[in-house]
Amino acid sequence: MIITSNLSKKYNGVQVLHIESLEIPKGQSFGLVGNNGAGKTTYFSLLLDLIEPTTGYINNNNVLVNESEDWKPFTSSFIDESFLIGYLTAEEYFYFIGELRGQSKTEVDQLIAQFEDFFHGEILNQKKYLRDLSKGNQKKAGIVAALIGNPEVIILDEPFANLDPTTQIRLKGIIKDLAETKGVTVLISSHDLQHVTEVCERIVVLEKGEIIKDLKTSAATLKELEAHFAGTPTF
Amino acid sequence: MIKQFISHEWKQFKRASYFQKGLVIKIFLILGAIYFGGIAIFLGAFLFFIAKKAIPDVDPIVTINNFIIYWFLFEILIRYFMQQLPVMNVKPLMVIPIKRNTVIHYLLGKTAISFFNFLSLFLFLPFSVVLLYKGYPAVNVLGWFLSIVLITLCINFFNFLVNKSNTVFYITLTLLLALIGLKYFDIYSALEPIGLAFNALYNQPYLVVIPLVLLVLLYNLNFKYVKNGFYLDDAVSKKIKAVEATDLSWFNRFGSIAPFLKNDIKLIWRNARPKQTMMMSFLFLFYGLLFYTQDTYKDMPALLAFASMFITGGFLMTFGQLVPSWDSEYYKMLMSQNIPYRKYLESKWYLMVTAVAISFVLSTPYIYFGWKIFGMIAAGALFNIGLNSFITLFGGALNRMPVELNTKAKAFSNTQGFNPTQLLISLPKFILPMGLFYIPYKLVNFETGIIVLALSGVAGIVFKNFFLSQIEKVYQKGKYKTIAAYSEKK
Repeated sequence: MIITSNLSKKYNGVQVLHIESLEIPKGQSFGLVGNNGAGKTTYFSLLLDLIEPTTGYINNNNVLVNESEDWKPFTSSFIDESFLIGYLTAEEYFYFIGELRGQSKTEVDQLIAQFEDFFHGEILNQKKYLRDLSKGNQKKAGIVAALIGNPEVIILDEPFANLDPTTQIRLKGIIKDLAETKGVTVLISSHDLQHVTEVCERIVVLEKGEIIKDLKTSAATLKELEAHFAGTPTF
Repeated sequence: MIKQFISHEWKQFKRASYFQKGLVIKIFLILGAIYFGGIAIFLGAFLFFIAKKAIPDVDPIVTINNFIIYWFLFEILIRYFMQQLPVMNVKPLMVIPIKRNTVIHYLLGKTAISFFNFLSLFLFLPFSVVLLYKGYPAVNVLGWFLSIVLITLCINFFNFLVNKSNTVFYITLTLLLALIGLKYFDIYSALEPIGLAFNALYNQPYLVVIPLVLLVLLYNLNFKYVKNGFYLDDAVSKKIKAVEATDLSWFNRFGSIAPFLKNDIKLIWRNARPKQTMMMSFLFLFYGLLFYTQDTYKDMPALLAFASMFITGGFLMTFGQLVPSWDSEYYKMLMSQNIPYRKYLESKWYLMVTAVAISFVLSTPYIYFGWKIFGMIAAGALFNIGLNSFITLFGGALNRMPVELNTKAKAFSNTQGFNPTQLLISLPKFILPMGLFYIPYKLVNFETGIIVLALSGVAGIVFKNFFLSQIEKVYQKGKYKTIAAYSEKK
């Protein structure tokens, strides 16, 4: 589904990402871990064509991401708060995204109704603009917005950060369900090893822009990751 | 402590990304300040002679005192739109041991060195020097000058109250409107007593205590106001406004551009900066009064054509030049969403065209100046719709300055969304309508000039798709650059 080939990104001659080859099959829940500056967000930005690759390419469902825009209809994402339109209410934002993705108001309503417990009564009917919500609540709205319009690929950067424990647990359920029963390819990055190992079938460890581990999640994975990160100094 | 603040401020100023980059902007700002300051000094120096020439039988100082209120009203108006209480990053200061009062005094004291205060100084200092030179009694002149400076500072602090509190704003507005109305209908003129008051300030220099007391009072009011707000709850953490939900489903009839159109309307309605832009664009409607009322311009039809274009083009130009910067806060999202640039641009185009149409309707009173003038305005409106809209959108596409939506633009301290490219691209906006009108006017006659100007607009509408495609290409080409520029932290 997503084939990365010879991809690299340099800023002023400094290489921040270099992935020789990485293949993510359809319906996989894929986790990216690594310390600060490892290249996680850079990779996701390249996947969304927000930055230009220095070399190589990403092929998303037979579409070359940096050459065609045809990947947009089936790919959705939430990277950070800049994906929200601050002056809209959560509902207005959902409808707006829905309209962009060809979903009617009722379809959007149906979808967000499923996430009532995820929202925990703090998102809908709040009479608040998104810019006035707390960081965690903004994140909830952004994540759910990324699920609108039946995307086949969903990219979430640090989805667990800033969320309260209850919501983290619910989010794990949502992500698992997407990959297992709906065949959606989910890409997430996280600093929380436990969450990633619980949710993802496959975990790739990035360090200084290079893939240094590619693991199929098993009972031993968490231990292995912890040992790895304990052994490498953070800086 | 104050020394620390000043050093922080300086660092903030020096290290701001837009400042480090934009040497050209710096030069433009300095030039602008010199220009306005220079005009004020020049005017101040000649004020005495101008007053003398205008009303020869009256002592110039009396004339000035009689009309000085207009200057102050003008100042209040400008300040209301342009000047805001400076925001200081107080959050980190709250947890370290600094007296709250020190911070507030510093904050308020800082506003005393605002450009606006100097403007008044530039104007009246040379005037006072001329007075002294002409042999007016020094005590009176100095007392008067001091009073003027104090009143300027009073306005400085008064403005913050007006800006911050709706009550003060509405009271001031009603009072002003009432006075203007009374004067207009010849019921009562407040000008005379005000003139007398200023003359009294001159004749009895000891009256300087009155503005002084007023200043202390206003300063204290401001101090109290800021102090009350000096808690994280309201001043620093943002105030949450209740949602103004509006049903915009009516716009769905515009089909595929409807989602953008609805969003743009909310954008303008719910954010301080675009709202301010919209208000300012109303002022453009009065541009014609400057030109049509003066005989000097009667023989300069090219300038009249330019003014006519301005009347209906206010919103188009002020709003349009910041497309797509208006969406800079969430541009990354737009770029990763399923969005055709064409629809996005078209929505903005329709918005601008609607604004031109509304301005045109509002400009009908200009018929008073004759059908020729109104014909020019109509032709100017067509030019705006057909050509200017695309020129403006094209210029916007090259503009990569992020805009903070919910912060009002401030004069001379906020260069957001302003860059030299913008200046270059705005040249054709001014030259084109003048040329399109003037050349056929010179070659044939007035009517032909108007018709050619109007036809240029029609041609623009006919080639709309071509123009939009060209602008789209600029967007596509600059995509990565634009995203990078917008995601830069301010």
